[in-house]
Amino acid sequence: MSIKKTIAKIKDIAMYLPPVVLSNFELSKIYPEWPSEKIYDKTGINERRIAGKDQTAGDLAFEAATRLFYQGQIASQDVDFIILCTQAPDYILPTTACIIQDRLGISRHAGALDINLGCSGFVYGLSLAKGLIETGAARCVLLLTADTYSKYINPMDKSVRTLFGDAAAATAIVATDAECEKIGPFVFGTDGSGAKNLIVEAGMYRVPKSAETSKELTDDSGNVRSRNNLYMNGAEVMAFSLKEVPKAADALLLKAEMTKEDIDFFVLHQANKFMLEALRKKMKVPTEKLPIFVDDCGNTVSSTIPIALFKLHQQGRLKSGHKLMLIGFGVGYSWAACLLNF
Amino acid sequence: MSEFYEGMAEIFEVELSAITSEFELHSGEAAWDSLAIVSTIALVDDCFNVMLDGKALGGCQTIADIENLIEAAKKG
Repeated sequence: MSIKKTIAKIKDIAMYLPPVVLSNFELSKIYPEWPSEKIYDKTGINERRIAGKDQTAGDLAFEAATRLFYQGQIASQDVDFIILCTQAPDYILPTTACIIQDRLGISRHAGALDINLGCSGFVYGLSLAKGLIETGAARCVLLLTADTYSKYINPMDKSVRTLFGDAAAATAIVATDAECEKIGPFVFGTDGSGAKNLIVEAGMYRVPKSAETSKELTDDSGNVRSRNNLYMNGAEVMAFSLKEVPKAADALLLKAEMTKEDIDFFVLHQANKFMLEALRKKMKVPTEKLPIFVDDCGNTVSSTIPIALFKLHQQGRLKSGHKLMLIGFGVGYSWAACLLNF
Repeated sequence: MSEFYEGMAEIFEVELSAITSEFELHSGEAAWDSLAIVSTIALVDDCFNVMLDGKALGGCQTIADIENLIEAAKKG
């Protein structure tokens, strides 16, 4: 006789992209050495969306959640825990997730917290949601991922402006009775020695904003930025990703006692086409098993994985029984991988 | 070595025949910029299974300099 227990599963996902479009054509007018085709060829990105001047990550998350409820699989009154993953909160304090509870009309008996992670954030959020649900602490977790990196980017820094876009996703994780695990197992990884390679250095307490930190400098590649802006050392981040992501995938397969062939889709953090193809080659995964969805939104940080899942589902490519591997990796350095039984 | 040269020709957007050990990284139309360096890290990892340091790559002047880095990295 099999024993049924409470397990966590993803019930539904919604996404939101802000309306302002930043196209390759516009970027190529600013950076004449990078024509539109070259940007597309390298990044796989045609356009990114940019949050309005007064639009915060909290606003994007609110829009994504509103769409999730509109889709009808869950209602706002079902939610008993909110997790918001962002690196651009509305205020230093209070917690943006608390403000969202009120805006969405979610029960005052719900828990709410923010987590500060970037590209690995969705997988970490899933692990927290699973923990809350499978210990009986919550029944319906609203996992929101939202970021507005555009607000940190210097307009003349093509190394990051070509890649990042603003977006939000809302994922409902609910309790269900089932015989097999739907989310998990997980593997995690952290290497804070890489912090300096993907950073907004000034603006908090280690380096408060000042006239000095606002000074713009031009680097060897002609990119302009100040210490208040987002900085990415592309070479180091690429080296880190090529080193850690395939290892995380192997460790997860070992933990789950599975092989690569058992996995139907490898849904990796959608950094850009170039990085995903380099990882795909290294991981020896066929093209059709490693989807790339950056064309119309770029790298949306913690929202790339739920957006990819949403699009795979929308295209009818996900079938019941499919096994997916999710891998988030980036700023921190922080990474995490998990399996999903669809 | 040919797979590496083919990759370098793609990165610099030049004919394969142009890529030799003496090829000057700063001479072509395509600059030896951050994107070229990131591309080279991925290419070298793919061809030789070694990870080069971005800073060291940035200091290279010719393909031969990159080849020296690869040889040194192989010896570990």
